Amino acid sequence: MISASNLKLTFGKGTPLENPALRGMSLTVNQGEFVTVIGSNGAGKSTFLNALAGEVLVDSGQIIVDGVDVTRLPTHKRANRVARVFQDPLAGTCEGLSIEENLALAIKRGQSRGLSAAVKARYRDTFRNSLAKLNLGLENRLGDKMGLLSGGQRQAVSLLMASLTPSSILLLDEHTAALDPKTADFVLELTKDIISERKLTALMVTHSMKQALEVGDRTVMLHQGEVVFDIAGEEREGLQVKDLLALFEQQRGLTVDDDSLLLG
Amino acid sequence: MLSEIALYGAIETGLIYGLVAFGIYLSFRVLDFPDLTVDGSFPLGAAVAAVLIIEGVNPWLATGAAILAGMAAGAVTALLNVKLNILNLLASILTMIALYSVNLRIMGRPNVALLTEDTVLTPWYSLGLEFHQVPVVLFAIVTVVSLLLLWRFMKSETGLAMRATGANARMARAQGIATGAMIVLGVALSNGLVGMAGALFAQSQGAADVTMGVGVIVIGLASLIGGEAVLTPSTVLRALIACVIGAIIYRLAIAFALNADFLGLQAQDLNLITAVLVTLAIVLPGVRNSVRARLTRNSN
Repeated sequence: MISASNLKLTFGKGTPLENPALRGMSLTVNQGEFVTVIGSNGAGKSTFLNALAGEVLVDSGQIIVDGVDVTRLPTHKRANRVARVFQDPLAGTCEGLSIEENLALAIKRGQSRGLSAAVKARYRDTFRNSLAKLNLGLENRLGDKMGLLSGGQRQAVSLLMASLTPSSILLLDEHTAALDPKTADFVLELTKDIISERKLTALMVTHSMKQALEVGDRTVMLHQGEVVFDIAGEEREGLQVKDLLALFEQQRGLTVDDDSLLLG
Repeated sequence: MLSEIALYGAIETGLIYGLVAFGIYLSFRVLDFPDLTVDGSFPLGAAVAAVLIIEGVNPWLATGAAILAGMAAGAVTALLNVKLNILNLLASILTMIALYSVNLRIMGRPNVALLTEDTVLTPWYSLGLEFHQVPVVLFAIVTVVSLLLLWRFMKSETGLAMRATGANARMARAQGIATGAMIVLGVALSNGLVGMAGALFAQSQGAADVTMGVGVIVIGLASLIGGEAVLTPSTVLRALIACVIGAIIYRLAIAFALNADFLGLQAQDLNLITAVLVTLAIVLPGVRNSVRARLTRNSN
């Protein structure tokens, strides 16, 4: 379980560019839940994810992951609990390292690293089996440099890396947004499979309302650094994008002027 | 042409600079950390080893102390960068400048002679090798052992974490790697190697001198880049071998340039030749590729 309470964060405090990114954000994600997060540009989606991962530290509020207060911990000290896939397919892997070396980095996520060989013979079977499930033929290319793979392939491997060791929560930051539609569908299907197969707790930020409603079992909308609404179960069943918009307007008395939310 | 002694001399110095090139490979290539500390840690290693040898310490122990001193210098540079957020290049220049004073303090004077002392080379002269071959054999062993240890380290869990830190720090953090600690460890290791090179150089030349570090960074870079031009560094092992090859080629090129009378070059032209060689090593691979591209275009 992961719980964020009353997170506040302002960028550029005391400067003309002062920007309150989180204004009292609270969200609790239960064990095994797959939550989709939507919101227009500047709603605080990425900042929220960065705050959960530790890339930015909040000004106030508290983040508890599986009973442990991680609010002040830097990224690498949260990595045993928090797994992550970035929006940029190139960001989640090292292109100069081989596929198996990337996976070997991920299999030790959040654990101490010693002087024994990083790529161990006993890992290779695990790597091959996991890669085979992608149906990309990568199981025969363990020694190939990551940089030889396409963006979609790299994102698929990133996803695999994030699920190679157990985590309390998997953070997906618009991880299909930079891919072409066909590849995006492939990566999204893969995401659903991995999350349901391993019963992962996941938080997926998306730019598409349609995707937010179709994927996962709970949808949260952010606006101006706060949660505007949070729907799950029967209430979410059969909900359309237009219903979502109506809900948003009703809650806030606002109209959504960000076209990109309606598309896709 | 080169005399046999000049040839061996070039290889001997090349092997020592191979160690410097390993260090520069670690900082510049693996960690993407442009580190100029080496201009200070090379004479630091020489100074520490020379002073200890004169005090009667075993030369191998003295060389070990030089490695530790180099590591400490590297750690200072890295900590200035990681903890105090000073730009990496500037942090290394600050340490380099500070080391000039430190080295003078350690030696108590600008240079220390070792000609009459026992060094790591001394026992090897009684093995029946030719006098000028001894340093080459010993330094070849040291360089190959260092290369194998370094290669093994780069393949380890920690070594891989270090490579990820330099290649993609954000990804490394997300995998739970303390990137700051990796930078400190890597830059320390790098300067430990350079300190060892300085210690060996002082013992083979018979003196430590406070100015002997001037330009070491450029020579190391020349070796690294030259080696990469000869042997494409597609794996860690190839990259490390390229460092040694590059360093030896560099020393041979210098020796040939100085020995070729028709060129009219003299010892004082060394730094100019180095700068020209580094420039060529950087530019030539690009020229080769564009020539190849032009040739294949014409043939189509």
